Amino acid sequence: MLVALPPLAAETMFTLGSLPITNSYINTTIATLLFVLAAFFVSRGIKKYYTKSVAPKGFLNFVESIVEVILDYCDQVTRDRKKSLQFMPIAGALFLFILVSNWMGLIPGTGSIGIWHLVHGEHELVPLFRPGNTDLNMTVAMAVLAVSSSHLLGIMAIGFFKYANKFIKLGDLWQAVKSLSPVKMLIAFIEFFVGLIEIFSEIAKMVSLSLRLYGNIFAGEVLLTVLASLIAFFVPLPFMALEILVGLIQAVVFSMLTLVYLNMATMEAHGGHDAEHEAAAGH
Amino acid sequence: MLDFISIAHAASEAAQAEKESGGVLGTLGINWKLFVAQLVNFSVVMWILWKFVFGPVGRKLEERRQKIDKALKDAGDIERQKTEFEAWREEEMRKTRTQAAEIVSEAQKEALSQKDKVVADTKAEQEKLAKQAREQIKSEQEKSVLEIKSQVAELVTMATEKVLKQKLDSKHDQELVKKSIESLK
Repeated sequence: MLVALPPLAAETMFTLGSLPITNSYINTTIATLLFVLAAFFVSRGIKKYYTKSVAPKGFLNFVESIVEVILDYCDQVTRDRKKSLQFMPIAGALFLFILVSNWMGLIPGTGSIGIWHLVHGEHELVPLFRPGNTDLNMTVAMAVLAVSSSHLLGIMAIGFFKYANKFIKLGDLWQAVKSLSPVKMLIAFIEFFVGLIEIFSEIAKMVSLSLRLYGNIFAGEVLLTVLASLIAFFVPLPFMALEILVGLIQAVVFSMLTLVYLNMATMEAHGGHDAEHEAAAGH
Repeated sequence: MLDFISIAHAASEAAQAEKESGGVLGTLGINWKLFVAQLVNFSVVMWILWKFVFGPVGRKLEERRQKIDKALKDAGDIERQKTEFEAWREEEMRKTRTQAAEIVSEAQKEALSQKDKVVADTKAEQEKLAKQAREQIKSEQEKSVLEIKSQVAELVTMATEKVLKQKLDSKHDQELVKKSIESLK
């Protein structure tokens, strides 16, 4: 008997037009539908309670408690309520979506219900459901969205040229040349290359965010599959519990890092020549 | 044993996948169509959560926080005003009390002095009246004495006249009469 380890890539169940529908895609679509349903109930509750300014009850209350916790976490990073309210939709959506799709992967049936397919000349049980974040497409999509929205908000917050100056420090270089001080020119020259390295770090952000999440969740899935095939009963339970924790931790890590990126992108470049100029003007 | 088999199996499968699509990205299952599809999925989730959950609920929470802040501040203000009012009231009461006491003592003093004056006035009046009465009595007495004197003199004269008319009609007698009248005086 072979242990059918889940392959690195999600398996295609069928194709819709030219789009291959993979088992992970099925899971994320279910998660999306769940969120649509939840949002429907929330907006109904909002209509019911907020417009009449009555204290909310039931599901809306539960959602409010979650939103409040997320908002508090945002406050801890941004230390500014306005910014927190701006970043919360991005960081909060990432957190909730990652959490829900990770935990959905632990529901019995994920990885065990499947269709017998002929894969590479062998009959194999291809699972119908596979945790959403064990598909690198999903995690890369989220990472790209998170990092690019940080750039977008950064441009919106401090202006395009100031923001571009964080990476291509031509402005700082020009200031240094104008000051005619060789030390300043040397520093600006070095900082110019540091700025170029920053561009690579932005790519590294996306890669690390997506691979961290993918690796953790995929490893958990493999671990659970192996353990279940060795001893099916009771032994996998502590590992399942750990996976619940890992799912939460990874969701927190992803959204917290995104929050930090958003916060850094919307801050003015500290130090540098602008600050010196301001200090000189102040004296 | 099983682990080795499975790992070998996975490795061979991965190698095969790499052959099929070419490159590490293909092995990891990166497929731009799926990528776009997942991006759309997540964007839908994000948009919906933003529009229907985080947006309105976040605004409401913030509104509620501000309302609570304001209520707490107002409560503090009211408390402060209350203590201020209390102090003011206490002060005012104290002032009023001292004023009242002052007024009462003033009134008492006034009444006492009034009384003294009245008493003195009355005494003076009484004395004046008594004096008047005494004077009147005296003058009355003097007048009556004079009257009596004159009447007595007349009577004596008449009596003397009568007597004289009867027996004495001399100069000696008249002298006598004069003497006796003078002694009466």
